[in-house]
Amino acid sequence: MASLIPETLKYTKDHEWALVEGDIITVGITDFAQSQLGDIVFVELPEVGTVLEKEGTFGVVESIKSVSDLYSPISGEVIEANSELEGEPEKCNEVPYESWMIKLKVKNAEELNELLSPEAYKKVCEE
Amino acid sequence: MEKTLETSLTSEHIKLGAKMAPFAGFNMPLQYTSVKEEVVAVRENVGVFDVSHMGEFFVTGPEAVKFVDYALTNDFAGAAIGKAVYSPLCRENGTVIDDLIAYKLEEEKILICVNASNIEKDFSWLKSLVGGFDCKLENHSNDYSLLALQGPSSQSVMKKLQLELGEDFDYYSAKELSSPHGELIIARTGYTGEDGFEIFGGHEAIKKLWSKLIEAKVIPCGLASRDVLRLEVAYPLYGHEIHDDVTPLDASLKWTVKADKVSFMGKEALGNYKPKYRLVKLSLEKGIPREGYDILNSREEKIGTITSGTMSVTLGRGIGIGLVEKDKFPEQKDFKVKIRKNTFDAQYHAKAFVNGGHK
Repeated sequence: MASLIPETLKYTKDHEWALVEGDIITVGITDFAQSQLGDIVFVELPEVGTVLEKEGTFGVVESIKSVSDLYSPISGEVIEANSELEGEPEKCNEVPYESWMIKLKVKNAEELNELLSPEAYKKVCEE
Repeated sequence: MEKTLETSLTSEHIKLGAKMAPFAGFNMPLQYTSVKEEVVAVRENVGVFDVSHMGEFFVTGPEAVKFVDYALTNDFAGAAIGKAVYSPLCRENGTVIDDLIAYKLEEEKILICVNASNIEKDFSWLKSLVGGFDCKLENHSNDYSLLALQGPSSQSVMKKLQLELGEDFDYYSAKELSSPHGELIIARTGYTGEDGFEIFGGHEAIKKLWSKLIEAKVIPCGLASRDVLRLEVAYPLYGHEIHDDVTPLDASLKWTVKADKVSFMGKEALGNYKPKYRLVKLSLEKGIPREGYDILNSREEKIGTITSGTMSVTLGRGIGIGLVEKDKFPEQKDFKVKIRKNTFDAQYHAKAFVNGGHK
């Protein structure tokens, strides 16, 4: 089954999605990621104010069998974390593109150009 | 690299859309739809596992029982015909080679079912011991497929498939059966804590039976749900709680070592052995205690290690079992588990996390 890759979002090779709105980005994991992981049972997110480096880990997502790090698409500061997700991690499986994890204030706008387009991300999934 | 082996059902699993992964050299189904659904199916209704990767040895002849009783730490001689016994298989120094189930099919015919990853190790060990006994040891692992039908509804499924076992076929019974599906060996055993049956047979018979079970809407279950199910009832797994460097007494398996047997492999060493570890069962309010994580005391000093952990589908909590150094076991049973940078208070469980429904 082909996974969903919305046209309106940007992506990383580590299977995070990013919604870019001015100098704020919203981050979650993709449909491909959730289907690879299987039943997601635990999500650990950073505190508001945490400063992240591009590709630095910002949290952890656990399925029944595995533990996976979450990687920040860009450098920036966490301005919001979706703590509701910690109480209902199965949402990451059910509605991956509504299950946002963090919002970041962009530090370096140029990094946004390095995010993958939907077409480029589709190729990553097909590899 | 060695070639990945297939069971007689590998192509069926792929057809059903299973997520496949290599396990003990075999290409095995990890899960079909969702681990959660598979666990719930087994706890509340019925599920079927392909566990054909496991090994089957036969011991036949006048001293078959005497030999198996000597090789195992548990009491096999005392078991009635038609009964099965769970036991560790130990070296002379008491360390664990494997854990297994031995089925006394006849006075002179015994089936031994061993872990897939230990088939060769076990067989060469048993071969080195069998010389002094008037019996024959054969490895038939490649000739048999094995299904585990598990869950409270498994008995009614067996009846539907015309597998009639009689009224007195209770937990840990075993028998050979000529069935409409072929020659089978059936035992009321399993690795889930629920009522259930393990069905050994030739590849063709088991393939037929598998299709019938799937037609009958029995939920196919993979190794991932099997691991959750066995952990919820705190069954040990070789390579985790028990392994080459510990004895059964380190993993709270004293009940499987019958020190009063006249003679058995490892008797002397185990008789004098002071356990180094004690098995603990811990659960967390938040987070999952995974294999390799540190177990701490209330002063946050390391006293042990988690050997298996997962998310309990039945409890909705992270659960883990681990080995704690016996001389550091806290009397108050106040444990913590270290997950990444944080430590979490753990709940100590004296009994299994979940009560299986088997009788």
